[in-house]
Amino acid sequence: MTPDVWLSTLVELAAGTAAAPLLPGIIQAVKARLQGRPGPSPLQPYRELNRLWHKSTVDPEGSGAVYRLAPPLATVALLAAVVIVPATSFEEVSPLGHDVLVVVGLLALARFSLAVAAWDTGSGFALMGASRDLTFAVLVEGMLLAVVALVALPSHSTDLGTLMATTSGLAGWGGALRWCALGAFGLVVLAETGRQPIDNPDTHLELTMIHEGPLLEYAGRDLAMLQWSAAARHWIMLVLTVEIFLPHARGALLQLLSLLIGLPLWCVLLALIETWQAKMRLLAVPRLLGAGTAIALAGFVTWFIGARP
Amino acid sequence: MTGLVAMITGAALVALGSGLPYLSRTDRYVKPALWAQILGTTVMGAWGAAVFAGVGTLGVPFRDSFDPAVGVDPLSGFFLLTLAIVTVPALGFALGTLPGSRGARSLSALTGAFVLAMTGVLVARDVTTFLAFWELMTILPATAILVSHHGRSARHDVYVYLATTHLGGVGVWVALLALARFHALGDPSALAGRAEALQIAIGLAALIGFGTKAGLMPLHAWLPRAHPIAPSHFSALMSGMMIKVAIYGLIRFTLGWPARSAALLGVALLALGLLSCLGGVLYALIQHELKRLLAFHSVENVGIIALGLGVAFILNANGDHLWAALALAAALLHTMNHAVFKGLLFLGAGSFHNAVGKLDLDHLGGLLRRMPWTGGAFLIGSMAIAGLPPFNGFASEWLTLEALLHGATDTPLRTALPTLIALAGLAGTAALAVLCFTKVVGLVLLGPPRREACATAQESSRPVLAGLVALATLCVVLGCIPGILVARLVSLAPGSPVRLPMTSGIDITGTGSFPAAALLAFLVAGGALLVLLRSRRSAAPAPVWTCGQPVEAPLRWTSAAFTKPLRLLMEPVLKPERSVAIERNGVLVESVAYESHTPHLFDTLLYRPVVRAALAWATFLRRVQSGSLRAYIATLLGLVIALLALARLGLMR
Repeated sequence: MTPDVWLSTLVELAAGTAAAPLLPGIIQAVKARLQGRPGPSPLQPYRELNRLWHKSTVDPEGSGAVYRLAPPLATVALLAAVVIVPATSFEEVSPLGHDVLVVVGLLALARFSLAVAAWDTGSGFALMGASRDLTFAVLVEGMLLAVVALVALPSHSTDLGTLMATTSGLAGWGGALRWCALGAFGLVVLAETGRQPIDNPDTHLELTMIHEGPLLEYAGRDLAMLQWSAAARHWIMLVLTVEIFLPHARGALLQLLSLLIGLPLWCVLLALIETWQAKMRLLAVPRLLGAGTAIALAGFVTWFIGARP
Repeated sequence: MTGLVAMITGAALVALGSGLPYLSRTDRYVKPALWAQILGTTVMGAWGAAVFAGVGTLGVPFRDSFDPAVGVDPLSGFFLLTLAIVTVPALGFALGTLPGSRGARSLSALTGAFVLAMTGVLVARDVTTFLAFWELMTILPATAILVSHHGRSARHDVYVYLATTHLGGVGVWVALLALARFHALGDPSALAGRAEALQIAIGLAALIGFGTKAGLMPLHAWLPRAHPIAPSHFSALMSGMMIKVAIYGLIRFTLGWPARSAALLGVALLALGLLSCLGGVLYALIQHELKRLLAFHSVENVGIIALGLGVAFILNANGDHLWAALALAAALLHTMNHAVFKGLLFLGAGSFHNAVGKLDLDHLGGLLRRMPWTGGAFLIGSMAIAGLPPFNGFASEWLTLEALLHGATDTPLRTALPTLIALAGLAGTAALAVLCFTKVVGLVLLGPPRREACATAQESSRPVLAGLVALATLCVVLGCIPGILVARLVSLAPGSPVRLPMTSGIDITGTGSFPAAALLAFLVAGGALLVLLRSRRSAAPAPVWTCGQPVEAPLRWTSAAFTKPLRLLMEPVLKPERSVAIERNGVLVESVAYESHTPHLFDTLLYRPVVRAALAWATFLRRVQSGSLRAYIATLLGLVIALLALARLGLMR
């Protein structure tokens, strides 16, 4: 392994870690504007992380090692995922590889560690959120794998570098496949980042929380790590959207440019959806996700029926 | 020659261990007997590993004749190694728990005999030996259950077990005898010249026969009944190994199946596998008893193995030998991984049972604090079975997903669409397993103790712990070096040999990569760094936020509460039955009783009608057994005439 690889991996890690909190920040700021409020600055998440870092933590009575280890475990899983999803170093080989299935596994690991932490506290609200989160994850993971199969059709590969290369340019946008993949993945983004209409990240009303629920008992540095993790989910999902599921150019500089333009644009779009859509009823969400899976399957069939090179 | 001596010594030691307990009327020889079995199993497993690693096969290859013959080739060697990996910790568990308990002598003897029977199936090289050991392997666990349980319900469960596996077992006999008839036992590609319908018929017979024993849905009815009531080390052996021996049989007799009918059989395997995956994990989720829940997870994992095998068939029919070999490797890797973590989980459940008694999920809790070693190992096993990185379950699920992805993107639509559905289904299964084991870990290990016995539970004894810790370590190690095993496993596939580099991770050119060791290193180092960064942790204790309400025991979260969103989601599939009884006194509500129950639909919709039809048929047939001599003579005469007619027409040779 050459020093170049280590350097690019470090850059990748640093860029992702530093930039991730900006994404929810932009969404918050734009959303406030759209609702006619002055709202916070896009840099607000950084201020919050800084504030939390200097506060002391809280341990609920009766909780044990699992509760204490969950935030570092969830965070390190997300850090690994940030390294694996190439934002700046897509042509280098990272020591962790560039495999999308590994990213799915790491997201599941983060989800699991928070859910068992909820059991450790025994808090009803945390458990309610965890059980809903894990239930939706069943549908989301099924849909995500179907979408991955969809974009892997031309190259038979789950390597993100290869996927970015084969999906670059405007070829394929004449067929239904790419549109179906984009539509289904859009729903995956909404579910994984916990945005409306599936979840409301701003709510602290106990009965409606999904992703926020298991975070309820945490404070101080623990909460800071978990809030960064939530931001990192935005980073991973939106980078994948821009670099694979949307039309994009190939080449280091162009790719970086498309990220710089694409990421804020997607944040604005998410803010628009949040302003325009109310949170769904809990039991209506599976129907939405089921529709996403159907879209992915339809796209798959068109590939075999229609224009195959 | 050394190998032969080693195998015979090992088998002799296990046999000695089976006889030794009966030398005394007390439990005096139980411990030495178990030690002899441990030693013997280790020797056989070590030699199995050596053959798997490539030191050369022992004995003869599988042959069509009926004369007894034995031998070990790399495939058998791999399963012998797996057998040893599960058996040694299970015997350690027996060593720590059996002496002094009821039926200790019989159980220790039966354990040895059971291990020998499974070894016999694995090393048999002809039909007679194979079928003899196969039947023995079915009967011995039934005996063990009857030795440890005397109740009427246990007898009924054993009856169901024997009835289902014997009825399904007919498929094994039919398939094997038919293959022997066409000289295709050692190599099914000899069937290539035969009619396609015949190939499919034999393949389906093998699928039904071995599938029943492996616990594939809908042939699984015996598994969740028999596994939970067996003594815990027997449960570990049954779930960890016996159902894998059925997988061995399926692979042994279908490896290199002629391409013409392989795609169809592959799709059949995918269908059964997907049903087992999703059905197994869904029914596991709604169980309230730990061992029963684990038994349903065995159905799920056999389903995952079947998915790997099915896509291997499909890719083979499509001429993609590299990915067919990798799909087979995925199935075999998951076989070993499941043996490791399921053995661990059943032995852990057995330890909890010994410490606190009943394993009702809603009345456990807090065991990680009381039993840190057992609980820690159980936690690792849970994460491994849930398919979370960096443990071994993720490695084999990753490879299975990759193989399915290739089946879905690289074959014609008629096989690609079922494979894609299987792919999405397997991803959903993995997420469901995470949900299920979050629940298990939470209810068993974490939170406050929900029963007096849990607050005073004692850590397991040393030999039990040694086995548990060894298996938990294997979960990490096998998750760290899957590439080394895969590189060897792909060479078991028939046809032109596939070569992969011996790396710790799995890296196949032109597709994804799973750098297992680097991932583990990153997670450990990064996690440690974050814990250090958090260093000044001045945590203030505070009550859990419950809107100020005191949390009483009935308000605590239960197994049913945690899975409620999923049950609501799956209501059309699971069809739960609910009843609410409200007692009123005038306008005042005096009491409300709520009851909910999810029936096992396979029992009510599939097995019950079949049993009813069989009984009706038997009632009808009873008329023949009238005792009237004339009726018997007429039946026999009719039969003879029919056979003569068949012979005359040349339909029988």
